[in-house]
Amino acid sequence: MTTATLPDLAPSPMPAPAALPQADAAPRPALIEAKNVSVFYGAFEAIKSVSLDVSTNEVVAFIGPSGCGKSTFLRSINRINDMVRGCRVTGELKIGGQDIYASGVDLVTLRRQVGMVFQKPNPFPTSIYANVTYGPRLQGVKKRQELDAIVEDCLRKAAIWDEAKDRLHTSALGMSGGQQQRLCIARALATRPSVLLMDEPCSALDPIATAKIEDLIVGLKKLVTIIVVTHNMHQAARVSDRTAFFYLGKLIEYDETSTMFTNPNQKQTEEYITGRFG
Amino acid sequence: MSQLSATDSAGFPSLTATKRGFPFTGDQLLALAARGAGAVVLLMLLSLLTVLIHATWPAIKTYGTQFVTTSEWRPNELQVPKRNDAGKIVFDEDGEMVQTTLPAKFGALAVIWGTAVSSVIALVIAVPLALGAALFLIRIAPGKLRGPVSFLIEFLAAVPSIAYGIWGLFVLVPLLQKYIEPSILSIASHVPVVGERFHHFLGGDTGLSGRDMLCGGLLLGIMILPIITAVSRDVLAAVPVQQIEGTLALGATWWQSARQMLGYAKAGLFGAVMLGLARAAGETMAVTMVIGNNNQIALSPLKPAQTMSSLLANEFGNPESDLHRSALIAVALILLVMSLSFNVVARYLVIGRGPRRAS
Ligand SMILES: Nc1ncnc2c1ncn2[C@@H]1O[C@H](COP(=O)(O)OP(=O)(O)O)[C@@H](O)[C@H]1O
Ligand SMILES: [Mg+2]
Repeated sequence: MTTATLPDLAPSPMPAPAALPQADAAPRPALIEAKNVSVFYGAFEAIKSVSLDVSTNEVVAFIGPSGCGKSTFLRSINRINDMVRGCRVTGELKIGGQDIYASGVDLVTLRRQVGMVFQKPNPFPTSIYANVTYGPRLQGVKKRQELDAIVEDCLRKAAIWDEAKDRLHTSALGMSGGQQQRLCIARALATRPSVLLMDEPCSALDPIATAKIEDLIVGLKKLVTIIVVTHNMHQAARVSDRTAFFYLGKLIEYDETSTMFTNPNQKQTEEYITGRFG
Repeated sequence: MSQLSATDSAGFPSLTATKRGFPFTGDQLLALAARGAGAVVLLMLLSLLTVLIHATWPAIKTYGTQFVTTSEWRPNELQVPKRNDAGKIVFDEDGEMVQTTLPAKFGALAVIWGTAVSSVIALVIAVPLALGAALFLIRIAPGKLRGPVSFLIEFLAAVPSIAYGIWGLFVLVPLLQKYIEPSILSIASHVPVVGERFHHFLGGDTGLSGRDMLCGGLLLGIMILPIITAVSRDVLAAVPVQQIEGTLALGATWWQSARQMLGYAKAGLFGAVMLGLARAAGETMAVTMVIGNNNQIALSPLKPAQTMSSLLANEFGNPESDLHRSALIAVALILLVMSLSFNVVARYLVIGRGPRRAS
């Protein structure tokens, strides 16, 4: 899969404005490219000039102590932070070569492409089936057969089909926390995203449910590019190809996960991953 | 100290109660007072119900279920021309009309109808506006606007109903009578084929007073708008932000996300509407001033009507007979039970299920 599969983020009925960067002929290794990205809440700078790229079909882990800005950065990648009053992003953030903060970017298209799984499982208080089909229905998919196929496909990909297949039409709230979180992953996959952002997806789960989600992340990387925020160093080591360490809003170190955990460059990184603070 | 000396071998103090004051401690007195206060409230409700049911008894005994299934409301005997079986007026040998006396009669259907229809008109007007305003306050209004607008809404909810009544009488009634209702009639009469009949049905032949069902319903709608807005705003504010972000993250547009939000909060919103309905059904002064006070079941909203509470306001001051008084109290009882059940349902939906929603 290449970056070329990402659809144009401009609103479909309108032609792309000339100012919007267009894909050129040169091969582009990175799917997500952040250059000097800063994020402000009012006057407070929660992310300070962060630059990093994420390649297609890789898993990147964001680690760092609470409040260092991991969620803030993650949430600016699908622009869900637009909802937060007073939140402002500067710098350049491109996905598939397109600046997602350029004017004329259609948030609906962007968010279908960049799915998100939240810290606390947030299924809608409807049936399992309705949860998975929510995204496709918004896109106008109406045919029962098509929806059925999407439900089975996504629940299988999220490794919850066997547990859910006999209760598709019962309330999603009746599931356990771990099942709910996998349902939320299935729901996010249903819009066929290229990128999946996961904000501490296991922090509310028990160890067994956590292990299932971790396996899932490794398995899903064939389908999507994943960025996962985690508090758990072992989790980062188990699931990710590269790891980014944030501290006080700055990106301190970004490297291959194996390098990072065996031979970190920065003293702060070493202190954090050996558990001396955080 | 005595407590300390009452220890067993392990040095653990005895847990059996020790008397700490005489004759009651402050705690016990306070508990007693609180229980007493609670009991007084219950007793008040019970005695209210007892008195109403007792006072209603003559009417129930006389009319039974007919009280709520018939609509004739005639506090006094009435002399009318006698009619024969064919419906023709009967004359005696001298060519005089034969008079016959209709006894006093009490059927509450017309006022039940009046209350129901005016409340429905009020809801049809208030609910969409209130939900829109609540969504605006929660999802659109900038922080600076939210506080003042919320304050205004709460202020409007606290304005005494007589003030709305006066406004209705001096603003709404003339507006309806001079401009809006004539336009409605003229549009109605231009409907092809049935225009004339439609015009007649609406009451165009009898003249417009502006004081009618439409005016009552409109005014009620305006009056319950603030309370429904305020409660809906609180209900929507309680929708977890993760739910809203969940919809947006799946590519929902603003409107699609708002719809999901309304769906999530539907129990609470329904409660808000019930609260408004209870208000509308029980509202007295303002409605009495603008609804025209005519005890009839008219399908046209441009004809005067009467609600249960406006009937009470009009007639309770000087009833014509004991039976009349009893019938009026029966109407009050129906109103009480109705309002009570709306309130109970509303409270259960808004407050009773609140914590479960938050979990
Ligand atoms: N909505 C907000 N408004 C103001 N400040 C915020 C908001 N969200 C987060 N912050 C601040 O931004 C910083 C980074 O927060 P966050 O991204 O949630 O950290 P992390 O996910 O790494 O724990 C913290 O200091 C936090 O207090
Ligand atoms: Mg966080």
